[in-house]
Amino acid sequence: MAPLRGSSGQGARARMTRKLFRLPWRTAQRIGEDVDDELHFHITMRAEELQARGLTPEAAIAEATRQFGDLEDARRYLRRMDRGTEAARRRRDYMGELKHDIGYALRKLRSAPAFALTALLTLALGIGANTAIFSVVHGVLMKPLPFPHPEQLVRIWSENPEAGIEQSAVSPVDLDDWRAQRTAFSDMGGYWYQNGGSGVDMTGEGEPQRLSTAFVEPGFFPALGVQPQIGRLPREDEMHRGGPDRVTVLSYAFWRRQFDGSPSVIGRTLTLGGEPYEVLGVMPRSFAYPDDEVDLYIPYSTIPDDGIPRTRTNHVLDVVARLKPGLGVERGRAEMAAITRRLSEQYPEDKAWTGASVEPLRDVIVGKARTGLLVLLGAVAFVLLLACANLASLLLARATARERELAVRSALGAGRGRLVRQLLTESMVLALAGGALGILLAIAGTRALVILGSTQLPRAAEIGLDPAVLLFALALSMLTGLIFGLVPALRATSSDLQTALREGGRGSSGSRGQRMRAGLVVGEVAVAVILVVGAGLMTRSFLELLKVDLGFRPDHVLVVNYSIGDAHQGTRAQMRGYYTDVLDRVRAVPGVVAVGATKALPFRGSGERNDFLPEGMVLGASQEAPTAPYIYVSDGYFQALGVPVLAGREFARSDDDRAPFRLVVNEAFAKKYFPGRTAIGRTVTIGTEQIPIIGVVGDIRQESVEEPAEPTIYIHALQNMRSRANLVIRTRGEPLAMARAVQDAIWSVDRDQTITSIFTLQSAVGEAVARPRLLTTLLGLFGVLGLLIGGIGLYGVLAYFVTQRRREIGVRVALGADSANVLRMIVRRGLWLAGAGLIVGLVGAAMLTRFMRSVLFGVGTTDPATFVGVAAVLLGVAFLASWIPARRAARVDPLIAMRAE
Amino acid sequence: MTDRSLDLLQGTLDVLILRTLAWGPMHGYAVSRWIHDRTDGAIEIDDAALYKSLHRLEHSGAVEAEWGLSENNRRARYYKLTREGRRQFRSQESAWRRYAEAVAKVLAPA
Repeated sequence: MAPLRGSSGQGARARMTRKLFRLPWRTAQRIGEDVDDELHFHITMRAEELQARGLTPEAAIAEATRQFGDLEDARRYLRRMDRGTEAARRRRDYMGELKHDIGYALRKLRSAPAFALTALLTLALGIGANTAIFSVVHGVLMKPLPFPHPEQLVRIWSENPEAGIEQSAVSPVDLDDWRAQRTAFSDMGGYWYQNGGSGVDMTGEGEPQRLSTAFVEPGFFPALGVQPQIGRLPREDEMHRGGPDRVTVLSYAFWRRQFDGSPSVIGRTLTLGGEPYEVLGVMPRSFAYPDDEVDLYIPYSTIPDDGIPRTRTNHVLDVVARLKPGLGVERGRAEMAAITRRLSEQYPEDKAWTGASVEPLRDVIVGKARTGLLVLLGAVAFVLLLACANLASLLLARATARERELAVRSALGAGRGRLVRQLLTESMVLALAGGALGILLAIAGTRALVILGSTQLPRAAEIGLDPAVLLFALALSMLTGLIFGLVPALRATSSDLQTALREGGRGSSGSRGQRMRAGLVVGEVAVAVILVVGAGLMTRSFLELLKVDLGFRPDHVLVVNYSIGDAHQGTRAQMRGYYTDVLDRVRAVPGVVAVGATKALPFRGSGERNDFLPEGMVLGASQEAPTAPYIYVSDGYFQALGVPVLAGREFARSDDDRAPFRLVVNEAFAKKYFPGRTAIGRTVTIGTEQIPIIGVVGDIRQESVEEPAEPTIYIHALQNMRSRANLVIRTRGEPLAMARAVQDAIWSVDRDQTITSIFTLQSAVGEAVARPRLLTTLLGLFGVLGLLIGGIGLYGVLAYFVTQRRREIGVRVALGADSANVLRMIVRRGLWLAGAGLIVGLVGAAMLTRFMRSVLFGVGTTDPATFVGVAAVLLGVAFLASWIPARRAARVDPLIAMRAE
Repeated sequence: MTDRSLDLLQGTLDVLILRTLAWGPMHGYAVSRWIHDRTDGAIEIDDAALYKSLHRLEHSGAVEAEWGLSENNRRARYYKLTREGRRQFRSQESAWRRYAEAVAKVLAPA
């Protein structure tokens, strides 16, 4: 047995060797040879035994082979089995190595806590910010809409090319015709809904409340294709004028809020607007359409003609439609073009409405948010790229310092692949730990984003850290680890390690590493420049936005939004009396300077668009009358809002419905239709009446801060009663402090008056610029982050450069170079690197910022001021980052520096 | 293969091999000889089955194989019990003993 023991000892050593140095695994060919050798050995031994018993060699081999059994079958079986064994061993070895590498990486990181902490924080910030932004992008842009086959859903608008109106609301009468003639759409449904605008008063369920209501046409629910959570949807006959249409469907949120989610609500009767409505069903939670503030769905047919007349000229409905399976948007467009053309030939009222605009529902919902979000995603990806570059640079420096260690491991038999794997494991461990920390940051970040952007982000409820987002974070972490780890790992293992060993760790590749780090810094600066340019453009644009003259003074104004109840709408005199009583009582409140009312508050509503004909204008045969928004305002409105009266006067109380009809127009109107002349005393034909203009007021931004005022007609509110009103109350002191007194004044007229909302005009203006503000804040944050990381990167490279060149610097100083000389040398190097990066970055920025065009206001995508400013800021930062290490270099004592070797 | 030889169940062959290797590392031929000699030729093992069993045991981790030099200086593949192999042997051995006793009891004249 002795020789056996000996050889087994040898085997054990071989095994140890494999464990230490990972000898190559057996190939399939090698396995085949081993099996053959083993079988050959067996046959030979058996044959020798037989030969000893007297067989001839040939006969012995034949007998041995016969005794063995099915040799070919055994050979095949052994080969297959051994390949499996080898694969399992390979996996085991690999896992063992991985465990070893991870342990090693952890020890290494613990031994360099400053490096580990810097890297970890950088990564956590980078990955966290990316994950947070991605979770928003995913929720808003990528998740399918919560409807079955959402890709079939479109929105449709009427189009009036002649007047330049591309997307107008749709007349309910037109919609009936569209629906009757459709072939490409499985259904189409109109709805009238204005957030904060359309509603009904509910009484008899505790306090009276104003409920946000979507008034829907028969095709609405079938087009969206969502079944109620409980109960049923209205039948077609329950949605027609004259049918049993006093029915309602509740939204999930309202059902939970008002009825605690009790199923017994089905079949109950609610008193809405003083009339009984039967509750038919409750929609599921995911059904938040048109938005998540809808309380009720009620048939549009319940709106009486004296409320919103059902005529072809009254464009009031939004339309959502579902294309038949397999049909594209283009097919829908073609069909709508044909239908609208037919209708415009058939009905004189539709003459100018010769087209329709059809857009995918998803684009409409996320449209405004898309560019901003994608810009943010791009910016935040750049931040991570910077972080990667910085870490790669740090790792390169470390790798240079670790050349000796790597050389030793290589000399002991570790292959290059093995070393690369070990170094990559280190960066992966870092990246994954950073990623885990980043996910925690992202949870907080996402929450903050949703709060910050609550009024700006569509589908905010669908944003969250779901599995897709976590997967993104994981993939991003691994990619990050690969990016910042691979280059240093490949480089560290590529140099002549034997030389490194001999030179005592002062790697011959030092200058090459230095060059690579310099290249990284140039790249970093370039990316930082792009980020800062983006942030700069956005900031400039936001400042431009704030500089816009709104045309009114938003400070010290309280707004009370309410709807006049049906009790006051009996007769004109009743309504007039109620309307003026409220104005007068509020005006009498101490501290109130001026009061007016309007149906459409700036940024919160638009006027009703209608035809008119200015005096002196003659229409050609095929020409359409111009249109303008009509806005209903009370006496004193312009004074309360702080809008200057440029000519004539504003409405007085006496201009009400008992007096002749008169108009006030804005400056844009006067300039467009009565250029170079006074508009006062001129007339405008509305319907068949010629109505004189009594005043011209300053332009105010009505739709948004970005869009200049369009020609607008103001009509006295008491000439054309509307139930919706915004009281505009100019106060002496803090406006919100007056809210209680104003409310009491209103209730002193009617205790049951519901009030929809009370807010300051300033907050409405703030909300109107909230999206650009959010974008500016975030881009600014990323820009600063980029500048910081880029600056740190530059500093790191120069500081390292100084350490490496201590000896050279010492020699220079010894040879008479003064410290200013040395300082200049280092700073020049820093600025040279920064300058190169700056040029690359500015070119890159000029190419990339055009994607921001739609989110910028009043500033070009290559705004020279921004580019010059960014260049100046960047060079400043670069100077600072170079000066600190340069000063240290300038203080080098030549004796110490040269002795340090 | 003589008619005296017993037809071996796979598990039985495994436990015999494990028992044999418990004496020390051996190459396949030695295992074959060992079993033959210990049973006075009562159990004639099909060599093909023996090698299949050895490699299967290697795959399952019960034995490890290394190349070494044989007593007559030839390259031979040596098999050695692993810790796992020893554990398997102990449990299979006792199971087999219980089984054999049970069979013996049934066959014993009453």
